[in-house]
Amino acid sequence: MQAPAPEHDDTFDFLFKIILIGDTNVGKTCIVQNFKSGIFSEKQQNTIGVDFTVRTVDIDGKKVKMQVWDTAGQERFRTITQSYYRSAHGAMIAYDITRACTFDSVDHWIKEVELYGAANVLLVLIGNKCDLEEEREVPFQKACNLAKERGILAALETSAKQSQNVEDAFLMMARELLSRNGLHVQQADAENPSMPRILIRENSRPIDISIGAYIPPEKEKKSCC
Amino acid sequence: MRSRDSVPAANMAAEELPSDFDIVILGTGLAESVVAAACSRVGQRVLHLDRRSHYAANWASFTFNGLLTWIEEQKEESKPEKIEDWSSLVEEGEELIHLSNSDPASITNLQVFSYTSEEEEADEPNTIEEEKAAGEDAVKESSETESAGSKEEEDAGPAEEEEPAETEEEEPEADQPPTSPPSNQSEPVRKKISHAQLVKEGRRFNIDLVSKLLFSRGSLVDLLIKSNVSRYAEFKNVTRILTYRHGNIEQVPCSRADVFASRQLSVVEKRKLMRFLTSCMEETEEQTAYSGRPYSEFLRDQQLGESLQHFLLHSIAMVTEDTPTEEGLASTRHFLRCLGRYGNTPFLFPVYGLGEIPQCFCRMSAVFGGIYCLRHSVHCLIVDKDTNRCKAVIDSRGQRISCSHVVLEDSYLDADRKRTATPPRYLSRAVLITDASVLPSDPDQQISMVTVPPTTTGGPSVKMVELSSSTMTCIPGTYLVHLTCQSVGSAHEDLLPVVTRIFRTTEPQEEDRRPSVLWCLYFNMADGSALEVEGHRVPSNVYVCSGPDGALGHEHTIRQAESIFQKILPEEEFCPPAPNPEDIIYDGDNASPGEDRAAVENGGNQEENQEKEGNQEENQEKEGNQEENQEENQEKEGNQENQEKKGDQEENGVNQEPEE
Repeated sequence: MQAPAPEHDDTFDFLFKIILIGDTNVGKTCIVQNFKSGIFSEKQQNTIGVDFTVRTVDIDGKKVKMQVWDTAGQERFRTITQSYYRSAHGAMIAYDITRACTFDSVDHWIKEVELYGAANVLLVLIGNKCDLEEEREVPFQKACNLAKERGILAALETSAKQSQNVEDAFLMMARELLSRNGLHVQQADAENPSMPRILIRENSRPIDISIGAYIPPEKEKKSCC
Repeated sequence: MRSRDSVPAANMAAEELPSDFDIVILGTGLAESVVAAACSRVGQRVLHLDRRSHYAANWASFTFNGLLTWIEEQKEESKPEKIEDWSSLVEEGEELIHLSNSDPASITNLQVFSYTSEEEEADEPNTIEEEKAAGEDAVKESSETESAGSKEEEDAGPAEEEEPAETEEEEPEADQPPTSPPSNQSEPVRKKISHAQLVKEGRRFNIDLVSKLLFSRGSLVDLLIKSNVSRYAEFKNVTRILTYRHGNIEQVPCSRADVFASRQLSVVEKRKLMRFLTSCMEETEEQTAYSGRPYSEFLRDQQLGESLQHFLLHSIAMVTEDTPTEEGLASTRHFLRCLGRYGNTPFLFPVYGLGEIPQCFCRMSAVFGGIYCLRHSVHCLIVDKDTNRCKAVIDSRGQRISCSHVVLEDSYLDADRKRTATPPRYLSRAVLITDASVLPSDPDQQISMVTVPPTTTGGPSVKMVELSSSTMTCIPGTYLVHLTCQSVGSAHEDLLPVVTRIFRTTEPQEEDRRPSVLWCLYFNMADGSALEVEGHRVPSNVYVCSGPDGALGHEHTIRQAESIFQKILPEEEFCPPAPNPEDIIYDGDNASPGEDRAAVENGGNQEENQEKEGNQEENQEKEGNQEENQEENQEKEGNQENQEKKGDQEENGVNQEPEE
C-alpha cells in the first residue's frame, strides 16, 4: 500500500524520553498538551489511547526529538508500572503549588525514579498552577531547597494555563541532556556493544542508551531562585 | 498535611472507585494482564485489581531485598479469613460466592541458603553462626539427596511433605555498611561478594519467580508486536545454547553459523547435522514411518552419532527420550523457524526480567482507560440466582461494584470450585546468584539457555537459564541462574543434585573451576497447566486464569488469554495495534504525523533472512552474506517492525483517536 509522501522532515539528531510523574490533578496532562501544541483546555479529561506525545525542537542547530510520556492515570492509586521508568532519560516531577500534599509526595516520586529508573536520570521539579498565586500553599523557596538537597537539576514554577515556563522547562531538560550526550561517556553496566538490546518495534528508542548512565560532574543548580 | 511517606496505602484510602465497570479482573499475572489490555483496547471499562502490593502475581520479578520480603511473606501463616456480613449489599434473588484472599497453596517448600563469604565475621558477628549452619545444612542435605535417588513413595506431591528445617539467615537490613575487601583471599581471581553487598546493591537485581524465554516466533512475541505493547520493553537475545553432558558444559551449535564455527564437531558431523536440519524441515515418508515411536529412536537411526543425538534431542527439540517422533520433529521445526529472527538463538529475554511483561500489558490497559489498584481485592461475587451470572462484586472496602464479566487468577477461588489435574502438579524452582558463568567466555556478558538431561533414569530434565548483568537482572560480577523442572519431590530434592554437580557450594578446592553459589533459593510453584480449561464451579460469566506453567515459552498463557477474550467479546479483534502516538492528530496541532520510513524497509529485509535460515540449505558463501545482513539489522536495532504490520496500521486508520 502506497502511503502519501510525508511533507515534513522526520529526521532528528537526538531522541530523549521524558516521563512525567506526580500526584493526580497537578496538571501533568495539561503540561504535556501545552508543550505539544501551546493550548490549554480547562476541562481536561483522561486522554484515552495516548501513550506519549512528541515534539521536535531545535537546539543549537541540533534536532532534538522529545518524547514525553504520561502516567495513563496509574498515579492515582500509585500503581505506576516499573517499565514506565525504565528507559527514561529525564523525569519531570510535578506538583500543584496550591496543594501542599502534592508537594509532600515529591519525595515518593523521586524514590520511584531512583528505584526503577536508570542511574542518574535527569530530574526537574515543576510547581504547576502558578497562575493561582492567591491559593498558594507551597513557597517556591521550599521547592528550591528540595531541589538542592536531592540533586534535582532545577525547580521551576509553571502555568499550563498561561503557557508560562512550560516550554522553558522542557527546553532546559533537552539542553542538559544534549550537553551530557555530547560528552564522551562510558557505559556503567559494561554492556557489550556486540550484543545490543533489541526492540521489537521502531518506537521510543533511546538513541544512545549510555546517556542514562552518565555521571554528571559537580555543578551549580540552574535557574533556582 | 501528611508526612512524607513512601508507603502509599493509607493516603489512597480516601479515593473511591467508580461503581460500574464492564469487566473486573483480579490478579495481575500474565494471562489476566493480557485480557485487561485486550478488553481496554476495544473500549471496555476495565477495573484491574491485585491483593498483593506488587504487579505480576507469581510472574513477578523482585529486587534482592524485595525477594527477601516476599520469602518472609510466604512463610507467614495465613490468617483465617474473617467472613464479613455483606447482606446489606445483597438484593433479592442474589447470592454470594466468597473469594479466597490468600494464596497458601501455590508456593511451597521454600528454602534459602547463603554461601556468601565469611569475611563478614568482623562486621556482622550475629549472622555468622546462622550462615555456618546454612552451609553445613546444605552439605548434609546434598549427600542425603544424592543417595536418595528416586522418590516414588512420595507421590502425594511436594505440597504435603514435611518441610525440612529451614535455614533463614536472611534479614533484610538495608543499610549495612559494605565490608572491607578481604585481605588474605585463597582465590585471588574471583572477587568475593559478601551478603552485605548483595543487600546493598539489592535494587539492581530483578529476580524472576518464573523462568521462561520468548521464542522469537512464539505467540508472545507475535502479540507484543501486533498490539504495540512491545514499545514498553526492550529485549536481549539469548546468546548461546549450552548443555550438560559427561559432566561438562558444552556449547550446542544450532544456527548455521554455529555449526560451521564449531570446534567440537568433526567435518563429518557438521555435514550430517546440516543435512539432518535441512531434511527435517519438510515432512518425509521416513518420518511418518516413525510416527508414534520415540523421537530418540528416530534420531538413533539417522546415523548421527552420540553427541549430535544429544544436541538434537535435549537442546534443540528439548524433549525427553520417550517423546513421540512427530512431537519431537514439531519442536525441532519450531526451534529452527525461530532461529535468526533476532540473533543466533531462537530466544529473547526481556531486559529487567520477565516481570516486566505483564506490567507492559497493564500499562497498555491503563492507556486505554483501565483503572488499576494494588493491595485491593474483591471479597465476594454477587451472583444472580436465576441466570447464574455474576452481576457485581464486593471489594475489600465493602463497595458494591457492578460488572458484566469477571476474570480471575485461580488462587482467588476456593479449591473446591476449581477443577485441576489429579494428582496436583508442581514445578521445582531454584534461583542462584553465582560469581561466574558455567562456561566462561570472552565477552563474558552471555545469556545462556542450558539443558540438563535427567541425571537419573526417569528423573526430571532441568532447564537452566543463566543471565548476566547485561540483562539488568543482577549486578556486574554476578550471574543469576534459574533452574526449573517438573516436580518429582521438593524443589530442593529435585534440583540440588544438578546444583552440586555444576556449581560449588563449599569452600573452593584447588583445580575446582566451577562457579560458586553466593545465595540460593528453592521453592515449588503450582504448575499452571494443571488447571483445567473448563469445568470450574463458577457463574457462566466468570473466567479463570492459571498461573505460570512449566514450558519454556508462553504459548499456554497467551492461548488462554485469547480464548477468554473471545468468550467475553466474540465480535472484537484481539489486541489490534495501538495507534502510534506520533500519528495522532490533535486539535491545533501544527506538526504533521510522523512516519518512520527507514523502519519499514528494514523489516522486509529481515523477513528474507528468516526464510534463508529456515531452509538451511544455502552454501557457505551465502552464510557470510547473511551474517552481514544480520549485523546490519542489529545496528538498526530499533527498526524491527515489519512491512505487514505497517500495512495493517494504515488500514486501521491510525490517524484517528480510537473510540472510547
